Amino acid sequence: MAEASAPEGSARQRDPIAFELFRNALFSIADEMALTIHRTTYSAVLKDNMDYSTAFCDAQGRLVAQGLTLPSHLGSIPEALAAVMRRYGDDMHEGDVFALNDPFEGGMHLPDIFVFKPIFVDGVRMAIAATICHHTDVGGRVAGSNASDSTEIYQEGLRIPPLRIISRGVHDPVFFGILERNVRVPAMVMGDLRAQLAACTIAERAFAELVGRFGAADTTAYMNDVLDYAERLARAAIADLPDGEWSFEDFMDDDGVEVGKPIPLRVRVTKQGDGITVDWTGSSAQVKGAINSTFSFTRSASYCAIRSILPTGIPNNEGYFRAIEVIAPPGTITHAVLPAAVAARGLTGFRMVDTLFGALAQMLPDRVGAAGDGGNTGVSIGGYDARRKPYIYVDFTCGAWGGRPWADGLDGNSHMFANMACPSIEVVEAEQPIEILCYEFVPDRAGAGQFRGGVPFAREYRMLEEEGVLQVRSDRRVFPPFALAGGKPGAASRNYLLRGGQWQDLPSKFCIPFLKGDVFRHELAGGGGWGDPAARDPAAVARDLRNGLLSPGVAARDYGATP
Amino acid sequence: MRGFRVGVDIGGTFTDIVLLDDSGQLSTRKVSTNDADHAGAIAEGLAAAFAQAGLSPAAVAEVLHATTIGSNAILERKGVRTGLITTRGFRDVLEIRTLRMPRLYDLRWEKPPPLVERDLRLEVTERLAADGAIRIPLDVAEAERAVVALVDAGVEAIAVCLIHAYANPAHERAIGDIARRIAPHISVSLSHEVLPERKEYERTSTTVINAYIRPILARYLDSLAARLGTDGIAAPLMIMQSSGGLMGAEEAASRPVHAVESGPAAGVVGARALALRCGLPQVVSFDMGGTTAKAGIVEDYEVGRAAEYAVGAGIMVGSRLLTGAGYVLKVPAIDLAEVGAGGGSLLRVDAGGGLVVGPESAGATPGPVCYGRGNQQPTVTDANLVLGYLNPGALVGGALALDAAAAHRAIAERLAAPLGVAPEQAAYGAHAVAASNMIRAIKAVSSERGRDVRGYALVAFGGNGPLFAAGMAQSLGMKRVLVPPSAGVFSALGLLCSDVEVHLSRTWRAMLRGVDAAAMQAAFDALAHEAGARLERDGYAAARREIRRAALMHYKGQSFDLAVPVEAGLPDAAALEEHFHAEHERTYGHRAGADEPIEVVGLQVVGRGLAEKPRMPERLSAVAEGPPLAPRRAYFGADAGWIETPVLRRSALATARHGPCIIEEYDATCLVPPNARASLDDFGNIVIDL
Repeated sequence: MAEASAPEGSARQRDPIAFELFRNALFSIADEMALTIHRTTYSAVLKDNMDYSTAFCDAQGRLVAQGLTLPSHLGSIPEALAAVMRRYGDDMHEGDVFALNDPFEGGMHLPDIFVFKPIFVDGVRMAIAATICHHTDVGGRVAGSNASDSTEIYQEGLRIPPLRIISRGVHDPVFFGILERNVRVPAMVMGDLRAQLAACTIAERAFAELVGRFGAADTTAYMNDVLDYAERLARAAIADLPDGEWSFEDFMDDDGVEVGKPIPLRVRVTKQGDGITVDWTGSSAQVKGAINSTFSFTRSASYCAIRSILPTGIPNNEGYFRAIEVIAPPGTITHAVLPAAVAARGLTGFRMVDTLFGALAQMLPDRVGAAGDGGNTGVSIGGYDARRKPYIYVDFTCGAWGGRPWADGLDGNSHMFANMACPSIEVVEAEQPIEILCYEFVPDRAGAGQFRGGVPFAREYRMLEEEGVLQVRSDRRVFPPFALAGGKPGAASRNYLLRGGQWQDLPSKFCIPFLKGDVFRHELAGGGGWGDPAARDPAAVARDLRNGLLSPGVAARDYGATP
Repeated sequence: MRGFRVGVDIGGTFTDIVLLDDSGQLSTRKVSTNDADHAGAIAEGLAAAFAQAGLSPAAVAEVLHATTIGSNAILERKGVRTGLITTRGFRDVLEIRTLRMPRLYDLRWEKPPPLVERDLRLEVTERLAADGAIRIPLDVAEAERAVVALVDAGVEAIAVCLIHAYANPAHERAIGDIARRIAPHISVSLSHEVLPERKEYERTSTTVINAYIRPILARYLDSLAARLGTDGIAAPLMIMQSSGGLMGAEEAASRPVHAVESGPAAGVVGARALALRCGLPQVVSFDMGGTTAKAGIVEDYEVGRAAEYAVGAGIMVGSRLLTGAGYVLKVPAIDLAEVGAGGGSLLRVDAGGGLVVGPESAGATPGPVCYGRGNQQPTVTDANLVLGYLNPGALVGGALALDAAAAHRAIAERLAAPLGVAPEQAAYGAHAVAASNMIRAIKAVSSERGRDVRGYALVAFGGNGPLFAAGMAQSLGMKRVLVPPSAGVFSALGLLCSDVEVHLSRTWRAMLRGVDAAAMQAAFDALAHEAGARLERDGYAAARREIRRAALMHYKGQSFDLAVPVEAGLPDAAALEEHFHAEHERTYGHRAGADEPIEVVGLQVVGRGLAEKPRMPERLSAVAEGPPLAPRRAYFGADAGWIETPVLRRSALATARHGPCIIEEYDATCLVPPNARASLDDFGNIVIDL
C-alpha cells in the first residue's frame, strides 16, 4: 500500500502562518473526537472519570495530536500503534479498523481497548485515528476487570492481541462474537466500542476537509512540522531549567498479595542542556499483585510530571516526548513483563508522578509541592441481583493535594494524572443497589505546614443487594503522603467495614464478599504539608477551626494555637 | 404620539441603550457603565437618549433589560451572607464539586471558593431514597436548631438542598416552613423549587446561587422600577433570561438564577429575529468585541440551547471538555461558545517559532499599541490597522485617535522580524490565526453538535465581528454573511426581539417502550399548567400562549441526553423512538440497533407569550451618515497583495458591488474581501455573498 511521505530533501520553506492554521485545525480534530466519545458513551467510567483518550497519528504511526483528555494515556498510543504497525503496517486498507488491549503487545491494562482506523485520501494512507477507552468490564475473575489481587494476566480478562476487527468496512464476527460472550455487561461494552468507532469516523471526515484545504503534500509535511515544533518548544523550556541530578524514593504499602511488604519506587532525574532523563532503575522488581506498570504507562507518568513544570502551550504530541528520555528496566514494577498482572497499575502510575515530583521539588523548590493523597482509590462493587442480572459499580477517587510553596493543597480536587469527576450520588443510588451514606471532609487529617496539605474526604457505601463482591485498591496506609520544607506528612488512608453493628479495620487492598446491610467506609489520606507549621498565618488556622476542618486539640498540637 | 420600546444592555464598560418605535426608527446611545449605581446611570442615559431622539418617557411601551448584576455579584462574591442546609453527610457536596479542574498539568490551579463557607453549611438528619421513599424521617427539632443557628450567624438567605428532594419535596417544604416561621425576613430557596432534577451537585450549586443573589437582584429591580417611575416611565420592566426569553421583573426577583447571564443571550436572540425577518432558517451568530468572541446557533428559527453553564468559567481554551471552572448553574441557557479573541488580544511569537494570538488581552486599558497608552505588544487591532482594514486616523467616529506608525513598528519588530516575513505578511497571519481561533467557537456550537455549517448564514456583530466575518465564513465554506444595522449595539437591539418565556423541567424516568403515555401526558400537563399560569400573570391570555414540550432521552446507560420534541396530545412512544434514533444519528453520526432500549429521563416545557405582531420591524431606518470617505491601500495576502480599496458608507451598497471594499460606521467596520460581493437588503443588512 502506498504511503504519503515528506517531499524529497525536505528543503521546503515552512509558511509559519499556514502552519499555525493547520495546527489549530489538527488539534480541533482530536478534541472533536473526544467530545464525540464523551457525549455518546454509556459507562460512568468514561463519562465521569473521562478515562479515555483520542489522538491523531501520521501515516507512519507517529502521534501528532492528542486530545486534552486523560494525562495517564499520554505515552501509550505510540507503543500501541507500533504494535499494530508491526503486524499490519503493509496490509492496511480503506475501511479497516484495528484493536488491541494486550499489555504485553502495545496495551496498558485489559480494560483499556485501543481502536485504530487508518485514514485514506485518494487511496493513499495519510493518517491514523486513535482512541482508547477504559471499558467497564472485559471479563476475568472479578467484575470490573481491575482487581488488585490477581497474580497473573490470565486472571484479568480477555486478552486481545493487535487484531483487524473491521475489514474493508465489514465487522469481523469472530472478534465481536468472542468479545460479547466474555464480558459481563455486553450492551455497555458494545455501546462504548461504537462510540470509539464513531469518533474515528468523525476524524476521517474532518481530516478529508483538512487535506482539501491544505493539499496532501503540505498536510503530510505539516504533520511532521507539528512534531518538530513541539520538540523545539519543549527543549527551549527545558534549557531554561537548572542542570543537575536529583533523586527521590517513596514506598507503596504492598501489592495486596504479599501484605506488609513495602514496594520501593526510586527515580533519578538528570537534566542536562535541553534534555531530561527520568530513570526508574532501582525500583522494586515486578510484584505478584496486579499493580505492575507497563513501560508505556511509566512513560505517561513521567511525561505528565515533567509537563507540569514546563510552560503551557506545548502541543500534546510525540514531539515533546523526544526531549524526555525515560528508562525503566524490564522485569520491574515500572516495566512489567509476562505473566505479570497489571490491572490495578493505575495506583502505581499516580505514585510514580508523586515520586517524580519529589525529585523535581529539589530542582525547583518554589514550584513543586508536597505529596497528595496518593490516589487513586478504586472501589468496585459487583455481583448479580435476584434475577441474575449483573451489576457493576466502579468508582475511582482522589482529591487531596499536597501543600504548595505558595498555597495550601487543594481540598477535593482530582490528581492531575487523571482529571476525573466523581459520579453523582443521586445517579448512583438510582442505578445501583448501593446507598451512599456520606461524602464529606474528614477533619484533622491534613498534613500541617505553613501551607497545609489538602483535607481528605470520606465516603460510605451501604449494600442493598443480598450479596456481591467488594474490591478495593487503596494505598498510603503505611507510608503517608510526604511533606516538604519542614511540613508534616498527611494522615494515612483508612478502610472500615461495618457488619453486624461492629466497625472493623480493613487493609488497603482487599476483595471480600459484601453482604446486605454492610457499610464500607473509605477515608483518603491527607495531603502532605509544606513549610514549618509555626509559620502558618494564624488567620488560616482560625479559618480551618471555624470550618471544622481542624479541632482545637490538633490546632494546639500542630500550630500552637490557643482557642 | 407614537409608542416605542427601550432596550438596555449593561456591559462591563458600556451600557447600550436602543430606542425603537413602531415604524422602525432606531436610535442608539452608549453610556459608561456605573457599577456603583446601575439604576442611576440607566436613568440618566435614558433621559439623554429621549432628549436626543425627541421622545417622551410617557410613550415608552416597555423596557427590556439585560443586566450583569447577578453575574457580578457571583464573580465578585458580593452576594448576601447565605446559609445552606443539607442532608447529614453531604454538606461538602457544594465545595467538593465534581473534583475536576479545567486545566491539565497546572500545579497552580485554585478552586473557586464556595459561595457558602463550611461553617454556614449545616446538616439535618433525614434521608430519602431515589424513588422518594422516606428512609429516615426529618428530625424537626434539629432543623429548627439549624435555622436558628444560621439566623444567629447573620445570614440573609438560606438555601436548602436535600438528597433526592426532586423525588419528594416533603422534607424541604417542612424546613422551608420552619424557616419562614422562625425568621420570616429571611429569603429561602428550596432545591426542588429551583431545579427539580437529579444530580445533587448541580442542584445544590444552582439553589445556592439563587439564594445568594436573590436579595441583591430584588433590591436592584425595585430601585430601578422606582427610578423609572419617578422619571415618568410607567411601562412594564422585563428582564432577559439566560435562555433568551424575557421574564417580568417580579418573576426575576424571585427566580434570579434565570437572569444571571442575560447580556450575551440577547445577541443570539437578535440573530434569530433577523433570521425570521430575512427567511434564513439556519444561522450562526458571531459577536466579537474587545476581549472575547462568542458564537451561537439558530436552527429552524430556534436558538440552540444548553442545559447548564458556569459563571466565571472563563473563556473556552480550545476545548469544552475541560470543565470544573466557575460556578455551575443548571438552568436553560443559550448555547454560546466563547474564545479569548478580540481586538485587544496580544500577538507574539513563541519559543517554537509559532505565531500565537491571545488569550491574553491588552483590554481597553492600556489597549492596543495604536492607542498610545503604553502597551508595546502588538494586538489584533494593530494588525488590522497595518493591513489597512481600520481607519488609520481614528476610530469611533473620530473620538479615538490612533497611532498607526507605532502599530506598524510593533508588528515589524515583535512579529515580522522573528518570523522572518514582511510586516504586512505577519499582520495578515495574525488576522488569519485570530480568525482560526474564533472558528473553533463556531465549530463548538455547530460541527461538534453534528451540524454542517456550510448551509448556514453568518450573522456578524459587535465592534469587531464584521471585520472578520467574511474571511471566517470563507474558511468554513459558508456562503453568506449578514451584518445588521447598528452592529456595534446589536445585542441591545436583540432585547427588543425577545419573547416572554417560561422554561420548566423535571426528572421523569421510564423506559420508552411500554411507557405509560397517560402518566407522561399528566406530568407534561402539570408543567404546562404551571407555565400557563406564569404567562397569565405576565398578561398573556390563553390565545396568546404557545406551549412546547420535549422529552430528554438517551440509550439506557448513556449519561448525555438528547431533547426530542413531543407533539401535543397523548405522547406516541413509537414516533418518539424513531425521532430519538434520528436525532442521535444527526448529532453523533451513529445510531444503535433498533432494539437498543431507550430511556426517558426528563420532561421539559417551554411556554412562550406571543407578541401581537413581529417584534423585529419590517425595516430599520439608518441614522444619518457622514460625508464620503477616501479610499486606502489594504493588504489581502500574498496572492492579492496591496489593493487600493474603496471605503464606503453603508448606504453606498444600495448598488451591489464586488470586493474589496471597507464599510466604515460609527461603532463597527466591515471588511468585504476581494472575491466577495456585497449588497444591501431591504432590512438594511449588509449582505456579503461568497
